[in-house]
Amino acid sequence: MSEQAAGPTARRVQATWRVNGESVTVAFRPHRTLLEVLREDLGLTGTKHGCELGECGTCTVLLDGEPVLSCLVLGLECEGREIRTVEGLAGPEGPSDLQRAFAELGAAQCGYCTPGFLLVAEHVLAREPRPTRAQLVEELSGNLCRCTGYLKIYEAVERAAQRRAEGAAAEGRHGG
Amino acid sequence: MKAFRFLRPRTLAEASEALRREPGAVPKAGGVDLLDRWKERVEEPEVVVGLCDVTDGAALRLEEDGALVLGALATLADLAGSDLVRRFLPALARAADQAASPQIRHRATLGGNLAQATRCGYWRLRSFPCLLRGASRCPVREPGGVQETAGIFANDPCASAHPSSVAPVLGALGAEILVGGGPEGGRGLAFEALWRAPEPGRSDVLALEPGELIRAVRIPPSAHPVRVGHAEVRQRAAFDWPLVTAAVGLTLDADRIREARVWLGSVAPTPHRARAAEAALTGRRLAEVRATFDGRAAAEGATPLPGTAYKAGLVAVAARRALADALERS
Repeated sequence: MSEQAAGPTARRVQATWRVNGESVTVAFRPHRTLLEVLREDLGLTGTKHGCELGECGTCTVLLDGEPVLSCLVLGLECEGREIRTVEGLAGPEGPSDLQRAFAELGAAQCGYCTPGFLLVAEHVLAREPRPTRAQLVEELSGNLCRCTGYLKIYEAVERAAQRRAEGAAAEGRHGG
Repeated sequence: MKAFRFLRPRTLAEASEALRREPGAVPKAGGVDLLDRWKERVEEPEVVVGLCDVTDGAALRLEEDGALVLGALATLADLAGSDLVRRFLPALARAADQAASPQIRHRATLGGNLAQATRCGYWRLRSFPCLLRGASRCPVREPGGVQETAGIFANDPCASAHPSSVAPVLGALGAEILVGGGPEGGRGLAFEALWRAPEPGRSDVLALEPGELIRAVRIPPSAHPVRVGHAEVRQRAAFDWPLVTAAVGLTLDADRIREARVWLGSVAPTPHRARAAEAALTGRRLAEVRATFDGRAAAEGATPLPGTAYKAGLVAVAARRALADALERS
């Protein structure tokens, strides 16, 4: 068993995570949350700081592929684990298909909830390529949006799902 | 949040040893509620025993004798998604799948769900007095107290309510709790023996010995067919706390109810067994209870406060729906 000491003058501890595909070693005080370390120590401010009590969903990241609230995970608990944030969604050719669909349909207005929605939606589509509207409503129920009324968000995820399905079909036709 | 020392055991045995060695240390599994409480400074542990590296606590398995053993470190998402749980304990899979939000279900564990604290707004805000935190009286019970989500059974002197919606289903399944790591080693507890009644000045809800942890929940095999149903009443369909949860477990002899278990959540400081409702169901034929059971027996013994009078009616509704669920689905 190892021990990581804290206290008002606590020494920082070191942890190594994989963040958006890259290995990152970072030092922080033992009681800091994943959200705090991502934003304050790694400068990854795409993950938003909302209620900080697990009620709004805007701080969602993928931890080993599963959506979790980074405000309710200790940085220490992420040793050796894979973390994906909104910064990891875009590729060399620009925004991801989900991000493009959000922009096209106005699924982001003030934008504060958008990173959390995008990451949950990535997780949903990875498991269920063509979710029903009812499934989407349930799967996105842990994320609050006070601007859009949610409909455009559901439509954007459905558009991305449809394009992925068409893309897969086209690849199939070309034998790829 | 106040800083703490963080210990990281590799096994449940090491975790128990750490808890025994460090009086006042708090075990943390998913910790989704603990972190809220620490941030709000309702509780400020000096030492946290993190269970994130423990590898022997999350398995869901079917024993040779037909018992199902559910590791306490399994998450609610694990339960909801497990083929084994969906096949043999569908009501449990549904209850786990309806709790909280998808993100929280990926962190919140079975053991933590059973061990969770009340949602009472007075207990959760340090600036309010609270009997469990050392005040002389429970402010919920005072005139003008906010009572809507308070308990209606065993609510004197503390009107808190245990919010688990998984616990009533486990009670209806006849579950036992396997705890371990205390001075006596491992032991099995009857389901209701996991919790203790509120005492002034004590916020912990579990009747565990120092160093003990919830290791697993065991659902014993049944020689007779069992049907289990579950119903929850809440204000929002998703991401909300239940106002009332009810679960009904029926052990059958052909079309007659040999044994009934009726458990309620969010109505008392601990999960509440509705014995009068069990008596109203036991020995009866299914067709008869389908036609006549109105659920009111489940509210027998309730002592609602003025603001919770409505909950006795909700208990009857939830018990009726849980029975209907048991008769229709399983």
